[in-house]
Amino acid sequence: MKTEKRKRPGFRLSFTARRAVAGRLFLLPWMIGALYFFVLPFIQGVVYTVNKVSFTPQGVQFTFVGFKNYLSAFTDLDFTKNLTSSLTNMIPQVVIIVFFSLFVAIILRGKFRGRALARAIFFLPVIISSGVVITVLKENVMSGVGMGMKEASFLFEAPSFEDTLSNLGLPQKVLEIFTSIVNQLFDLMWKSGVQILLLLAAVNNIPQSSYEVADMEGATEWEKFWKITFPMVSPTLLVAVIYSIIDSFTDYGNSVMRMVSEKMSQGYYEYSSTLAFIYFGCVLLIIGLVGLILSRRVFYASE
Amino acid sequence: MPYITRAGKGGVPRFRHHKQEVYHKIAAFGKAALRTAFLLGIGFVMLYPVLFILSGAFKAKQDVYDPTVIWFPKHYSLEAMGLALDTLKFGKSVGRTLAILVPSVLLQMVSTLMAGYGFARFRFRERGILFALLIFTIIVPVQNLIVPLYANFQSFDMLGAGYLFGAVTGEGLPNLLDTNLPFYLMAAFGMGIRSGLYIFIMRQFFRNMPAELEEAALIDGCGSVKTFTRVMLPNVVPALVTVLVFSIVWYWNDYYQASMFLMSDQTLSVNLTMLNGMLSITAQNVAGLTSQDLMLMRDAVLECGCLVTLLPLLVMYLFLQRFFTESIERTGIVG
Repeated sequence: MKTEKRKRPGFRLSFTARRAVAGRLFLLPWMIGALYFFVLPFIQGVVYTVNKVSFTPQGVQFTFVGFKNYLSAFTDLDFTKNLTSSLTNMIPQVVIIVFFSLFVAIILRGKFRGRALARAIFFLPVIISSGVVITVLKENVMSGVGMGMKEASFLFEAPSFEDTLSNLGLPQKVLEIFTSIVNQLFDLMWKSGVQILLLLAAVNNIPQSSYEVADMEGATEWEKFWKITFPMVSPTLLVAVIYSIIDSFTDYGNSVMRMVSEKMSQGYYEYSSTLAFIYFGCVLLIIGLVGLILSRRVFYASE
Repeated sequence: MPYITRAGKGGVPRFRHHKQEVYHKIAAFGKAALRTAFLLGIGFVMLYPVLFILSGAFKAKQDVYDPTVIWFPKHYSLEAMGLALDTLKFGKSVGRTLAILVPSVLLQMVSTLMAGYGFARFRFRERGILFALLIFTIIVPVQNLIVPLYANFQSFDMLGAGYLFGAVTGEGLPNLLDTNLPFYLMAAFGMGIRSGLYIFIMRQFFRNMPAELEEAALIDGCGSVKTFTRVMLPNVVPALVTVLVFSIVWYWNDYYQASMFLMSDQTLSVNLTMLNGMLSITAQNVAGLTSQDLMLMRDAVLECGCLVTLLPLLVMYLFLQRFFTESIERTGIVG
């Protein structure tokens, strides 16, 4: 090596430059993949939305139609209904999931007997609910109706609860919101697997000494939660919120996503692409807003 | 009156009144009881679908309308299981699933490890923008990309390889649909199922490793590649296990990409979604099975289908879970 270096000193790169080259080489496969399997299809997808697409033996044929697809999407009653309902459902769902996960993480914190078993069981949903099993189970077996026949199906339902409330004389609208949240509760627990793990790790990372100091000063449990636990896990809460949003809109059972695949299997490629991009735009907006609002309130201990 | 300290450990003497001592014992007991009750309740909700499947899958026909049968059937039968396995074409579809899963998972491990290391440990000008692109790949759902991907795989070209192939064989651009190649290629180039998330996890993990480790290797004369394989890789095993389990689970459960890229022999997940529809067709070939019987057995067959789809994952999870739940907490996704 040494003799070679002396022979051609002009070609020798500095240490930082060599490291930069090595870094780019490590990223090269990913860069190629991102170009061919992400950037390119993404741009093509946008192009599809302003065209009429037909698959012929000679390849894909395009006819430019302008914003016709967008126009028909926004006048499609099915789509607007699914879109608004899935976006408005997302918000209470994410709030419930995140608070539930935090609650469970705090309960599971520390050492107690049966801890390993409890953790094993709490992670089970990640394995089961990421697949189609849960949808097949819910829609075909438990609800007793064929797939797609019911607007929403749940793991558990609370009919008697609904009866009790209606006997109280509550207005129908309030009743619907209430029962839908109660019915969803169990489904939402099922969607909290990853978030519980994230928050559990965060809660366990809080140094015990900060609680000891609070004890010395005579803080109550309530104060300790809001002054220590909550700020310390807030960065992870942000991650959990964004994860939950993404998870809920890429879900197999999501009504808009189901409509997208349905339209595609019927051959309306450009229309299905348009729906997917409108939905994605809405979700991106929500993630941006949530990120903007929450990231200002997040507390980073290292700063 | 505030008591002085709760902790009697570590040599700190307890300055507590006897009454407070009793109060604290009761409080601790109450806390434990509450926690146990709560965990039992939620644990039941989490286990419910598995119990539900197990209870229903082997239930015989005559028990379906028996009101005294709730969880434990009085008669067991394997008839539904046979029908489910037939309709799912179990052997064939598991073979297809594994043929996609095993190489894809391995390729995905290699590509995400490399990319994660590249993002974590090297400085160069475009890194920021590339990282933004990585985050974007996590957010954009595959549904947005699937139609163009489908079209691109139908007449495939990558870095001119497709044109070269076409020129050699004289058949034009190759059609990769209905082969396993789309899965392998996407996994190898860091765009497999949820690759973005794994790259992110790996990056966080590599970033948390002490810089001295790498510096020592560099001073001892290791190049970047050798540092990566000899020094960094052995230390990244916890993150690797986490990502490996996730990757196996998500490839096994994948429904969307398989239903798009494959046509003839489908994977297990796709066949499971069609189980309900296909059931009556297989049932016609079974001698002595009336449509009445089929109606009674439908739920059991679906539950059997779910069971055989879940079982391999559950077995894997039972073996790996301790290793896994501990390691996911150490991967540093949190920091």
